[in-house]
Amino acid sequence: MKDLMRIKCLLSQDIETLLNQQIKKEAHSSSLYLSMASWCNQNGYDFSADYFTKQSEEERMHQLKLFKYVLDMGGNAVSPEVTGIKTEFLGFREVFEDALEAEIAITQSFKNIAAKCHKEQDFVTMEFLNWFLKEQREEEYKARRALELFEVIGEEGTGRWEIDKHVNKITYSED
Amino acid sequence: MEKACIDINELVNVFSNNYGSVYQSDKLNCFYIDFGGKFARYNCLSLQKLKKVVEDIDIESLLLNTKKADFELVTYNGCDHIYLLNALEIIALKDLLQGTFTMFKLNHLISDCLYRLVF
Ligand SMILES: [Fe+2]
Repeated sequence: MKDLMRIKCLLSQDIETLLNQQIKKEAHSSSLYLSMASWCNQNGYDFSADYFTKQSEEERMHQLKLFKYVLDMGGNAVSPEVTGIKTEFLGFREVFEDALEAEIAITQSFKNIAAKCHKEQDFVTMEFLNWFLKEQREEEYKARRALELFEVIGEEGTGRWEIDKHVNKITYSED
Repeated sequence: MEKACIDINELVNVFSNNYGSVYQSDKLNCFYIDFGGKFARYNCLSLQKLKKVVEDIDIESLLLNTKKADFELVTYNGCDHIYLLNALEIIALKDLLQGTFTMFKLNHLISDCLYRLVF
């Protein structure tokens, strides 16, 4: 009997499902960052608004990268429905706390997929995931650094204005 | 008709339970589900979709909800076939499809060991 499912697609059903869930998570992140950009803009934090708009675009790129991989491997990539995006934040600081929390959740999610790849010995997908695992270093670093500005600069007086100016300058270098 | 189709296309029985069978055609690269009085043809993608639709049915709520009929239409967008099934039949179809995919997995493992691994 021919191994028809394997002939059609490199991915196992489980991995395909996990990747489609990740596509949805990246889409959710993208929408969440856009929502944060909107909140920051309306509350006068222009630099942070730009920062989150850029982050939103990056998440969209992540989504498309996963989408392409699933299709390239012969799988069924599903365009996700994104609902329940938070639009109200209690304050400037909460936006950044949420951003870091979201990135930690994404890192965890990639670790879960990687664990599954190891279990199934799907080294092809594992190699593809390495790019994302590396990317999460940067994403978490930036989110953590941004949140630390609240400690370093402090929110009193012109603190928030100062923090906003610095958010856009956070960069990550491996060296 | 079904018997003829099985013979002519040299169909391999992938999995059967008391309610039906799934066959594979290596000649046509497709599958046939013999279930609910239907002998229906599927390809890889449509078979996976059908399995997902059946697995997503909330059988418990189907049984407990007194305002709804005990029957459910099983199909999806673009599917050539429609099944009108009661809760027990849905469970049977779910079992049939899950058994089928387990056999696919097993066949994949065997194919890997026999034909794909070179030592
Ligand atoms: Fe991402």
